Parts: sequence; C-alpha cells; structure tokens
Amino acid sequence: MKQISVFVENQPGSLMRVTSALNEAKVNIRAAASFDTPEFGILRLVVDQPVKAKEYLTSKGFVVRVQDVIGAELKDEKGNLNQMLKILAEGNISIGYIYSFVIRENRAPVMVFHSDDNEKARGVLKEAGILLVDDEEL
Amino acid sequence: MIWAKEETLPRAEIEKIQLEKLRQTVAYIYEKVEPYRKKMDAAKVKPEDIRTLEDLRKLPFTYKSDFKDNYPFGLFAVDKKELVRYHASSGTTGKPTVVGYTRHDLDVWLNNVARIACMGGATADDVAQISFGYGTFTGALGLHGGLEKIGASVIPMSSGNTNKQIMFIQDMGVTLLVATPSYALHLGEQIRERGIDPKKDLRMHIGLFGGEGMTEPMRDEMHRVWGDQFICTQNYGMSELCGPGVSGECTELCGMHVNEDWFIPEIIDPETEEVLPPGEHGELVVTCLGKEALPLVRYRTGDLTKLMYEPCKCGRTTCRMENLSGRADDMLVIRGVNVFPTQIEEVLFKIEEIGPHYEILVERKNRLDVMTISVELIDDRLLDSYASLSKLEQRIKSALKAQLGLATQIKLVGPNSLQRFEGKAKRVTDLRKDGL
Repeated sequence: MKQISVFVENQPGSLMRVTSALNEAKVNIRAAASFDTPEFGILRLVVDQPVKAKEYLTSKGFVVRVQDVIGAELKDEKGNLNQMLKILAEGNISIGYIYSFVIRENRAPVMVFHSDDNEKARGVLKEAGILLVDDEEL
Repeated sequence: MIWAKEETLPRAEIEKIQLEKLRQTVAYIYEKVEPYRKKMDAAKVKPEDIRTLEDLRKLPFTYKSDFKDNYPFGLFAVDKKELVRYHASSGTTGKPTVVGYTRHDLDVWLNNVARIACMGGATADDVAQISFGYGTFTGALGLHGGLEKIGASVIPMSSGNTNKQIMFIQDMGVTLLVATPSYALHLGEQIRERGIDPKKDLRMHIGLFGGEGMTEPMRDEMHRVWGDQFICTQNYGMSELCGPGVSGECTELCGMHVNEDWFIPEIIDPETEEVLPPGEHGELVVTCLGKEALPLVRYRTGDLTKLMYEPCKCGRTTCRMENLSGRADDMLVIRGVNVFPTQIEEVLFKIEEIGPHYEILVERKNRLDVMTISVELIDDRLLDSYASLSKLEQRIKSALKAQLGLATQIKLVGPNSLQRFEGKAKRVTDLRKDGL
C-alpha cells in the first residue's frame, strides 16, 4: 500500500492547505496522521490516488514523498492489535510509526504502519493469516 | 593614567610623526609587497610622491577582498620565519582573513592595547577576567596581553560557562571584565538572579567592552545591572589593523581616542570614495603605520563613524571617533563575531536538499544574539522520517558552525515560501534595537 508524506510548517492552516488542494484534485483521503514536533511536521496520508495526489500537490508547491507502507486489516475485536504487534515483535521487526484508518464503510479497521523491513513484515503477517490491504481496495 | 606620552602631543607633533612613518610605510610596501606595488603603479603613484599627509589620498584603497585575493600570505611583507603569531577573523567566503605579527608588531600592538586599558581606568591593581572567546580571534589575546603589560592580573576565562564565570568573579575578587557588552549584560543579570548584588557583594568596577558596539541605552542598562560604580568603556579594532588597540573610550565617554601615532584615520563617502572633512559622517578608512608583517594602507573598514579633533578633558590630544553607527556593507556582528551573508550563502549552496533562497533573522533573546536562517526544503526523500529531516537540520547547523564559528537556528520551510527578489535581495532582518 502507498502513503503520501507532505512537508508542513507548524502554523495555523498548513494542514488545511494540503487537504484543500486534494479536494480540488478530487483525491479522497482514507487516513491521516501527523505528530507534534517543535519546528516542522510531516503529514502522512493514505489516499485513493497517490500518484495523482503527489503530482497535484507538487504542482502547488508542496514537497511530497510517496512511500511504501503496510495496511493490515484487523477485526474489531479485543486483543487484535496486540496480536499483530506480537507477530511483528517475534519477527524482530521494528515499527517506525503506526496509525489507523478513520473511515471505512462496512469494513474492518485497517492499521497502517511503516517498519524497518516492510517485506519481512508482510511475510510474517500473511503467514499468521492477517489480511493485508492493497491500494486497489481503497 | 595615560600610558604613553604620544597620546598628549600637540597636533603638529602628532602629524610630524604620522608623516615620517607614512613615508617609511609607503616606501616599505612598494618595495616588499607586490599587490601594493601593482596598485600604486596602476594609480601612477610612487613612494616619493608622498610629501605631506594630504598626499595619503593619492594612494589606492585596500579592501577586505585583497586579503581573499592574496590568501594567505600575499600581503605579508616579511619572510614567514619572522612571524611569531597568526590570528584570523571572518572572511567574506570560506577562507578566513589571516593576519600575522612579528615580535615588534606584537609589542606595538599590546602597548596600544595597554593604552586603551588605561583609558578605561585599568591599573596594575586590577584583576581582569577575559570573557571573550580565545582562539584565532584577536580580541581575547589582545586584551590579555595589554592588561598584562600594565601589570593587571589576567584570568583567561574565555566565553560561555556562566556558572564558572560567576565563581571566578566571586572567588578571585575580579575587578575588571572584558567581554562583549551584550554578554556583560547577560552575565550581570545571571549574577543578580543568584541573589548577588554586584555593587555590594563583588569588587567589579571596570568593564572594557568590544567585539560589538555599545549603544548609550546599553551603557545605561549596564549601570542598572552592575551598579553605578561600574565604569563602562568600549574600544575598537579589527584583526586586519592589528586587533583591539586602534581606539578606545576614556572615562570622559566622549568618543574613542585613536592611537594616531600608529594609525591614520580618514572618513570617506563610501559611494563616491571622496575624503570628507573632519566632523563629517562616513566610512572609516585606516592606514597602519610601522607595521612590519602586514602593512596596511587606506584600509576600508566598512564601519560608519565620524572623527572629532578637539582635545579631550582627559588630557589626550588624539582625535576621537564617535560610536559606530552601522556598516557600509552587509556585515553582521553576532555575539561579537563578524558574519557576512556571503559566508552563509556559500554553506547553504553546497547542501542539495535545500533550495537557493534563504532568509536571516537576527534577534536578541535574554541579552544574547540569536540568528535564525530559514531555508526551503526541496528534496522529498527526507520525508521518509522525522529523523532524516532532523539530520538535515543538524547537518546545516554544523556546516554553518564550522564556517562561522557560531551556533545558528535553522528553520525548514516549504518550497516557494520565502520571498523572491528582483535585483538586490534583502535577506537579512535585524530586530535588535539599540543593542537591547
């Protein structure tokens, strides 16, 4: 699955400028994450058309990176996130960051994460029967 | 106390000494220093054309760029084995401005600094703490040597480490502080914050300030922080001329007395390069007299001031220069260190992940200068993680630190967010007002 990362300054309206540009480009946002940092931020988004999103945002003067991440579908049941993290830990895979989908009609929630070894992470999760989500399914 | 009889001579005698030394100096540079000889030949002036002090105007100017063009030894007049000391200050680009001294040069220099220390009230009884950064800058070792010459006890503290500074001031009974005026204010406030009243609890009574200008509001503030017993004077110099020791305020506080038997000051209009009459405001141009290693004729200091020739109440007859009112170029003074925007530019241009545009913001926070440089991020690969962005920030900071010798703040901004200029860019915003 692809994620786009957008460089944003810490000031009012900077996230909105990204989302409003995506609106203009008719790109749908599936998930969003950004963390508090003192000087600058990286807004991470999962969108339905990452390539188009990057092209449009770049033309509007943003710095944008498209990156490979993993989307894992989890049944909304107690202990499922813990279960997935346990599999990764046993595989000695380190997670850089993790966030979840905000809207997904009638489907199970998806955790998005980036690790130090995405290929290996995909392998161990598939082996454990966890469903991984592709861009096409967005 | 007045250190040297040359400080009190009648004007005619000062000028007699100046003319004699000027003629020797011009003959010396024409013989020994090729870049001077070439410039003089181009201007069709020979050493024998210098017959009066007025004839000084026939000589070509020397610029900071001459140091760069002849780096490192091209302007030196003696063999390298004659040198006993090197110093260096900021250059306009990657290479510093390197200066050198013979044994005799050092002796002249430190005697001139001794004069300045005496002008500010220092005596053999003083315990002097030098809070300038040591290293290649001339400020610390200049004041250090000058104060030793008058017999004061010198503590080579260097800059930073405020707790240690305060401990020495208390425990050694320091009476005299050498610092930039902004650091002196910072230190004084830190002392007060620890519940110490400088006037009652310390022996401090003299401040000899340099490295940056001290405005009158700063001097008032200095008395408020350190107490009214604190005699604050400032002095002037630059490494190309020798270092500190060119001029200094006496305790009458009516301008900085120029050591005229070693330096001839002129004021010019920086645009037309025309020499202005006494009392007019313009760029200070200095000719050094009798320097062996690095003679310097009509050096464009870039500092704006005026000269006053009326004798002073202190008894000195040497002319005085007014507090500097600014620069003829874009040089900044940050924590007493000279910074040229071109130096910063050179560093930034080598870093591929950022764009060519930048802005420099200078503020004074907690009495100390803070320089923030905004640069545009253009490389999307850095968005893989916060760590790579931070690493970039660190890389820019350490490259600037290596170039400038100063810590800076870096602000990464998005592409195209900095102002674009047609023609001359205005990249520097200096929010310091009256030095406070």
